[in-house]
Amino acid sequence: MFKILANAFADMAAAYERRRVWITLATEDVGDQHRRTALGPIWLLVNYFAFAATFIFVFTPNPTAEFAIYVATGLMVWNYLTDCITQSVTLFEREESFIKGTNLPLSAYVMRLTLQNLIRAVYAVIGCVIILVLAQVNVTWDWIWAGLGLVIIVVCSPAVIAVFGFLGVFFPDSQFIVANLMRVAMFATPLFWTHEGEGGLRGALYYYNPFTYFLDLVRTPIVNNAIPFTAIGISLVFTLAMWAIAIVLLGSLRKQVALIV
Amino acid sequence: MVSISAHDLRLVYQVREKLTLRPRDRRMTRTGGTISGSGSRRFVTALDGVSFELSAGDRLGLVGSNGAGKTTLLKVLYGIYEPSGGSLDIRGKVDALFNINLGFRAEATGRRNILLRGLINGWNEDEIGARTEEIIEFSELGDFIDMPFKSYSQGMGARLAFSIATTLEPQILLMDEWIGAGDADFQTKAKRRMDELAEKAGIIVLASHQPDLIERTCNKVLQLEHGKVVRFGPLEVQEKPAAANSA
Repeated sequence: MFKILANAFADMAAAYERRRVWITLATEDVGDQHRRTALGPIWLLVNYFAFAATFIFVFTPNPTAEFAIYVATGLMVWNYLTDCITQSVTLFEREESFIKGTNLPLSAYVMRLTLQNLIRAVYAVIGCVIILVLAQVNVTWDWIWAGLGLVIIVVCSPAVIAVFGFLGVFFPDSQFIVANLMRVAMFATPLFWTHEGEGGLRGALYYYNPFTYFLDLVRTPIVNNAIPFTAIGISLVFTLAMWAIAIVLLGSLRKQVALIV
Repeated sequence: MVSISAHDLRLVYQVREKLTLRPRDRRMTRTGGTISGSGSRRFVTALDGVSFELSAGDRLGLVGSNGAGKTTLLKVLYGIYEPSGGSLDIRGKVDALFNINLGFRAEATGRRNILLRGLINGWNEDEIGARTEEIIEFSELGDFIDMPFKSYSQGMGARLAFSIATTLEPQILLMDEWIGAGDADFQTKAKRRMDELAEKAGIIVLASHQPDLIERTCNKVLQLEHGKVVRFGPLEVQEKPAAANSA
């Protein structure tokens, strides 16, 4: 076990040492994805507005300003989470050229995707702020808790990316399973529907869904002006668990990835 | 002091097979490592008991048929693969040139790739910036340096890769068949630069199927077959049977 931990921390330390590499790659990634388009990364903002408008105006007969705030904040977090998870399953496969041609640590690729998604998330944050302003939301001190929620989400994301990255390498079918599950999860997560304490299927989807708590981390302080104690507790436990799994996988499997991808 | 010391290196990995109803092709080939086991637990022994010592100024030519383990050995030396057994002691800063398409960013310009390769090799932006013009000049890519890497021919990619790797002064340079892509003029230039690198007490390990390239460039030869050392020794005696250190 000591060797596994030492391997994992050595990999992460090497990624920190060569942070300029993944910072440079990640900042170029977003520009490259939109290089030949007229709007460039503004498409990310357009996508966000398209989804938000659909959820707010199409799925609800009489949308209110409060519901618009609920959807805008939830969608901002959801977009980041879904980007991290769906892209991570094929992460090491996409990085084959660097994995087989350089001795960069695997954590560097994990951080590259994390930073890339954080940059993309900035456009969703801008879209969210615009909707909040249009909905005339009241800014309160409780918003600080939403800031803490964002920090927890960002801290959790490299671990999630690493775990799903290894899953994708060792079980190639998982990329299709995860893609399908995430499509279903969009409807199974209280993203554009609310939970008023009822039981049944909707109650189960609300309570037994980890995404609920990550969304509530940011959404509850802004929508309800309340501190999301339950969401903070559950997401912290989830984050610690994901980091523990990620460290064990990184420490024990990191050198096998180059032989498989 | 720059050196490479490999003792009884082994690399064994499991073949991961997908579930399929199709009959599998179990014919053994002349190439590749040794395959053992059966069903879903099949293992490839890519390197088996590889031992050699190199010291400052050595230029080792790696020879052997396709799949003999040359690239695998280079990747073990570079740290991409972890050996399953044996010991490896490398002293010196290592850089490697594998397939030209590996380790470069296809969408980025040649100039951006110089920066990326430099950062990957542990240099900072100032150090890379100070050498960028020298790299461009040696590569003779001219205005193409500001074109995307994916628009380069194999030869142009090889020129850039070689120029970056050698200008950033590695103490140990590992190369895999890359040089065949360059034209004759560039090969002459490259040969001169490799000599300079070796004279500066560096080590070069070059895998190639071109005997004349090995003869022109190297002073030692290591021949691999099925992951095992068949012979290792000075270039002049390469035709003799395998030396004791290959046993």
